Amino acid sequence: MSGIGLLLTTAKDALLAQQLALDVVSHNVANVNTPGYSRQIPQLATRQPAPYAGMMLGRGVNVEEVVRNTDAFIETRLQQRKTDLNSLEEQEVYMSALEAIFNESSERSLSTTLSEFWNAWHDLANNPSGNSERGIIYERGTLLCQAFNSVHADLEQLTSQLNLSIEAAVGDINELSQKIADLNQQILSGRINGNPNDLLDKRNQLITELSQYMDIQHYENEDGSLTVTTGRGYVLVTGANSYQLSYDDGAVRWESSGAANRDITDTIEGGKLGGWLDVRDEVIPGYEADLNELAKAIIWEVNRIHTQGVGTQGFTSIIGSYGVTNAGAALQSSGLDFEDKIIDGSFHIWVYDSNGDVVGSGPLTINIDADVTSLNALVTDINNQAGGNITASVDANGRLQLSAATGYTFAFSEDTSGVLAALGINTFFTGSSPTDGDYAKFIEVNPVVEQNKAYIAAGKIDSSTGEMAEGDNANVLDMINLSCSEISMNHYHYERGTGALPPEPVSTTLDDYLHTLEGSIGIKSQSVTRSREYTEVIVNQLERTRDNISAVSIDEEMANIIKYQHAYAAAAKLISTGDEMFKTLLDIR
Amino acid sequence: MRVATKTMYDNVRINLDRVTEEMVRASNVVSSGKRINKLSDDPIGLVNVLHLRSSLKNVEQLEKNIAVGKSWLRAGESALNQIYNILSDTKALCVQMANGSQGASERANAAVQVDGYLRQILALANTQVGSRYIFSGTNTSTAPFELDEGSSPPQVNYNGNSTPFSLNIGEGMNVEVGRNGEEIFGDDNFDWSDPGAGSMNVFKGLLDLKSALQNNDVDGIQEAIGRLDVYIDRINNMISNTGIKETQLDVKWGVIQDLKLNYTERKSELEDADITQAVMDLTSRQTAYKAALASSAKVMQLSLVDYL
Repeated sequence: MSGIGLLLTTAKDALLAQQLALDVVSHNVANVNTPGYSRQIPQLATRQPAPYAGMMLGRGVNVEEVVRNTDAFIETRLQQRKTDLNSLEEQEVYMSALEAIFNESSERSLSTTLSEFWNAWHDLANNPSGNSERGIIYERGTLLCQAFNSVHADLEQLTSQLNLSIEAAVGDINELSQKIADLNQQILSGRINGNPNDLLDKRNQLITELSQYMDIQHYENEDGSLTVTTGRGYVLVTGANSYQLSYDDGAVRWESSGAANRDITDTIEGGKLGGWLDVRDEVIPGYEADLNELAKAIIWEVNRIHTQGVGTQGFTSIIGSYGVTNAGAALQSSGLDFEDKIIDGSFHIWVYDSNGDVVGSGPLTINIDADVTSLNALVTDINNQAGGNITASVDANGRLQLSAATGYTFAFSEDTSGVLAALGINTFFTGSSPTDGDYAKFIEVNPVVEQNKAYIAAGKIDSSTGEMAEGDNANVLDMINLSCSEISMNHYHYERGTGALPPEPVSTTLDDYLHTLEGSIGIKSQSVTRSREYTEVIVNQLERTRDNISAVSIDEEMANIIKYQHAYAAAAKLISTGDEMFKTLLDIR
Repeated sequence: MRVATKTMYDNVRINLDRVTEEMVRASNVVSSGKRINKLSDDPIGLVNVLHLRSSLKNVEQLEKNIAVGKSWLRAGESALNQIYNILSDTKALCVQMANGSQGASERANAAVQVDGYLRQILALANTQVGSRYIFSGTNTSTAPFELDEGSSPPQVNYNGNSTPFSLNIGEGMNVEVGRNGEEIFGDDNFDWSDPGAGSMNVFKGLLDLKSALQNNDVDGIQEAIGRLDVYIDRINNMISNTGIKETQLDVKWGVIQDLKLNYTERKSELEDADITQAVMDLTSRQTAYKAALASSAKVMQLSLVDYL
């Protein structure tokens, strides 16, 4: 090989190499803002030297390959942390929605309406015969019920929003798995022509997107294809194949190649999906159960006191608001909502004639043996004692019905058994939910009271004379005491996968129970926000590290342009030098 | 160390985001005047605030209750005082009429006067607060005492009951502000036609006195003096008892004022922003924001591209 020929070849190769390097630089510059793009570096290397004139002589430069500058360790760490961050971000969004639902600054908030409900009873105690005070109790009671109803409805709506998001996310995950599988296919065929850098970047970007939804694991196979599994190892992508997830009635299922599919809901931990599932299966059910517990306690405790009292007039007929499923069974196991609260005891029914005088020598005394007396037995007992002045029966819905003969009225007193409150006779609130305990959803002011505020039981019947005094507030004073009495209740907690944890018993006033509930929402929200802030700092740091390795620096590329440009110019100069050398040779005559 | 162009922009964005967030939070505190704007701002503090809020509402309600109670007690006290005066006047008249120098016609005139006193006391016994009778037990919508002139001899019937009307002035504290009328004027369960019966009943006493005066019956008048002493004594006890209850309400009122002040202060300490501090926070955040903007603008302008 002649020297000048070698020179020209070397110069030509150098020109090509610098030009190629400039191409790579221009690709880098062009992608400075492309998310997930990794800076590419032309690997310049000397060509294989060749022996010439007894020496090994260099033969110029060659671009061996174009590589991506990435650090797999940092990339994986970043992905994992981003998965956590996405989970926390979604939890934070929903926690702030929860905070808004229990909006404490509003005049319609639960704790405000509860305080005002108690104050309305105080006003009635100050003026038990006042019609407007009775109207206000009804109104405050209704506002309290509405506050419960609307918080409960908001919680349910939040759950259904979460389910919609989860369903949409499952669709996105399937699309991403499919795209990754397609890229695997392209990368496998692209490998033959060197590094398919941009496809690798794209695949990385898709993995990052996928990891935003849930915790995933992935590893590269020897052939360059990527296997992706969920955090617990359910395969999403292997080679050119992807496995789909499906959403069915709240559960995320993994569709394996076999016919069977598996419920993997509780194995999903991070990402948006994990965050949503945490909120849906742990956070909301706990608060909802507590809210129902409070509504249930208010219904029972208020009714228990209300049934001891009497309004300003007797009843001509009344139907209970709670029905039994089995009128022949002992009251304690008859299917009433509050059947477990019934204890052995008795209650009185006073019957009045048209002049308002007590019929007979005193009240009817109905004895209850909670694990023996059935509703049917109770009805028979009343009918036997009443002698036709009042008639008791069980209606089609299993509710106790009492009606007085024309001209007669009746009223109740001294119920030590709790059976009146459990049957919903002479109560203030109604609200029954035997199956899922949604008392907050169904709590309402008893329509009996709504239609006639005279039935708001402010007073008590004089146990010796049977007289009901309009100005008596003995029962309201008991109601007022309820607002500061400690009541045994439970706080509920839920865990994903396990469901309800054993309830935590507390003894507290109704107001304080609510305050603790609201406080716990604040604490949870605060801790989620703190974790999010902390994780965000870590993600930002990792991202910076990743970018410092992989992202494009314009300044650097500019410097590279100059470097390659000068090298290109120099290589061109070599060619013209070779040209001149040829000319010199050819000019020899 | 190598710094990517993206890192530079990201840093600017992240820092500006952070400073903006802090600034918004600080300005929220300033504009709302509250340190706690959401549940999560300070959950423990918030639980205390909620507790204080409901305590405050309760205390304000108790204030109302006490005001109602005081109006009842004052009305009762003033009625009892007037009854006391009338009974004292009646006694003076009795002493005068028991004197042997008085003739039948003077005594007949005095009987008319006693009848007037009886009716005044009857009116006072039916004293109302709002539209409610305070000496009627809990039968507050029925006039407790009613003069039945149709029966012979005339009698005064009690239509109230024996449970005095009470109010709640604090946890488990009920105060009787109304009265069972029989406690003051004596019960009506005796034979009204028997002059010797029902000596404890004020109205029976006055009716007996009236007929003694009409009949010029000096013994009867003298007996009435003894009875009147008993009534006056009883009313006197009632008046001092009412005074004790009023003092009880006053003391509770004072306690409630202190509690209210204390609750309001604690609530404000927990909930309200220290405005000076908050404004300073906001200003320092604004300065930080401006500085961040200025430095970002400077740094972002620089590029090698400009020099090529």
